[in-house]
Amino acid sequence: MNISRRDGIIATGAAAVLIGVGVSGHYLLRKRHAPSPYDDLLTLLEDRDADAQIGETVLAEAEDFDPKTIADNLRAHIGKRPLAAVLASDVAYGRVVEAGGWVLPQTLGLLCALAAKAET
Amino acid sequence: MGQFIDARNVPSGTVLQADLAILGGGPAGISIALALAGSPLKVVLLESGGMTFDARTQALYVGSKVGDPYLTLEASRLRFLGGSSNHWGGWCRPLDKIDFEPRAWMPYSGWPFGKREIDRFFVKAHSLCEAGTLLYDKTEKFAGGMGRVLPLGHGGLITRWFQFSKTRDSNLPTHFGERYADELKRIGRLSVLLHANATRIGLDASRARVEEIDVATLSGRRFRLRSAATVIAMGAIETARLMLASNDVAPAGVGNANDLVGRFFADHPTPRDTATLVLFGGRPAPFYLGNQTVHGAIVRAGLFPSEAFRRANAATAASITIDDKTDLDDLGKAAVAAVVGAMGIDAADHAAFSLGAGMEVTPDPDRRITLDTDRDALSMPRAVLRMRISDSDFARLRQTLKELGRQLLQARIGMLKLNLRTRQDWLDAMDWGNHHMGTTRMHADPRQGVVDANLKVHGIANLYVAGSSVFPTYGAANPTVNLLSLALRLADHLKGVLR
Repeated sequence: MNISRRDGIIATGAAAVLIGVGVSGHYLLRKRHAPSPYDDLLTLLEDRDADAQIGETVLAEAEDFDPKTIADNLRAHIGKRPLAAVLASDVAYGRVVEAGGWVLPQTLGLLCALAAKAET
Repeated sequence: MGQFIDARNVPSGTVLQADLAILGGGPAGISIALALAGSPLKVVLLESGGMTFDARTQALYVGSKVGDPYLTLEASRLRFLGGSSNHWGGWCRPLDKIDFEPRAWMPYSGWPFGKREIDRFFVKAHSLCEAGTLLYDKTEKFAGGMGRVLPLGHGGLITRWFQFSKTRDSNLPTHFGERYADELKRIGRLSVLLHANATRIGLDASRARVEEIDVATLSGRRFRLRSAATVIAMGAIETARLMLASNDVAPAGVGNANDLVGRFFADHPTPRDTATLVLFGGRPAPFYLGNQTVHGAIVRAGLFPSEAFRRANAATAASITIDDKTDLDDLGKAAVAAVVGAMGIDAADHAAFSLGAGMEVTPDPDRRITLDTDRDALSMPRAVLRMRISDSDFARLRQTLKELGRQLLQARIGMLKLNLRTRQDWLDAMDWGNHHMGTTRMHADPRQGVVDANLKVHGIANLYVAGSSVFPTYGAANPTVNLLSLALRLADHLKGVLR
């Protein structure tokens, strides 16, 4: 079977596209979040959508929640420490919040609340 | 030989004589009678019921209630020999040292003596309950083979232990009437009158001394009992009812010159499903989930606020038990995933459990027993209970549970959800310990208590009260073994004053 040079180029291009789609499918299918001013913080969350659901319950009980102030405070509080270390420090010093009744480390609860804010 | 007498066979108009009258054949009355076995005192114990349940006798408990939801008055008690030990759960635990102390955050707190004063009688009280080897908070040393105590680490709540009453060769709690009837019959100078209801405490004209007790049976017999001293041991509602109804000489009732009799009624609220506990490693050791036999005792572990936490946080007493396994909703699953992911914890085997709690209430003078215009079959005014629970008591338990949630996270072993938020949430989840307390509270000052440190009614030379009605504050420990310690102490006192 003879394949013309033109058909060969088309087939190669199509294969390249398919491979590219396959490789990046995970990223293509992932829910896109609108950019927010807190994305540097929200990348700390493993499942931003689920955590936003938790964050809604934190916000429901927060009287004054100014996301910019909270984000600034969180950046200062977390610094360069791993999140796990920050959370351990929170609970050791009694810094906990409630999320729909769940007792959470304060930093985690506030990150979840920021995730919820970023969705609105 | 002592004797059990059916009061329905005592001719009306009879006047019985004794050194000591004990009104009530529940655990307190029986324990006092047993403790006086070796004394030369002639003792008569009156029991309203017989040896078994009788509906007509039980109906004498019927009363009404107003205020917050509560049990029907006749549901919590049993009116035959052995009293409410005939249906108790057998839970035993000593009060804490702090329970006896005045606490700035708890109005009306402070017993007239410290814990040590009744500790002297605790071993005997525990023995009467047949609660096995005296272990309580030493249980952990012997329970190692069954699993680990939750490593909560530093913080407010700690594992502590209940022990359980058991009859010999059985896991059932001790029914004091059935269990001790033979021993009572062996006491030579004791007479137990069954079906005998005290209907009036007759003061002499000075109002400072009990002259006689009126006794009635449901069959219509009426007679009197005269004794050098009288102990009322009828439970917190009936004791108050009898004292208030005995108003022929003192219009406000016996011992009620300061309008305190019947006030400060209390019970232990035991709200269900107060919180959801998630343990990342799965099930806790079996002694948290149910009764286990350890070193000759039936035990169960619970989570209690430490005395240090209570002092530092103005916390009330509480006993928290791990109950049934439960399922998590979507938010719960998300919360667990978020925490274990962010904290780097392996929770592949996690399991969730419902937490129950027994809680202490703040003494409240307006939570009280008064008399109704309606009367029972013996023409006694029925009781009215005004029940109230304050929001602050719920809030304090909630704070304690929140601390448990914090400790679980700190120890990286679990997490907690607080299930009850609004007052209605708490009331909807409410159950009760059936621990009637407080209506004849103890205080050295007659303006603040009905009985003094010796359980003698202020202003009356020869009248005493035994039972948890004398508790000024309530702790979270089950009252029976503690009220028995007090009753045994009273028996010791009476041996001296009635010599």
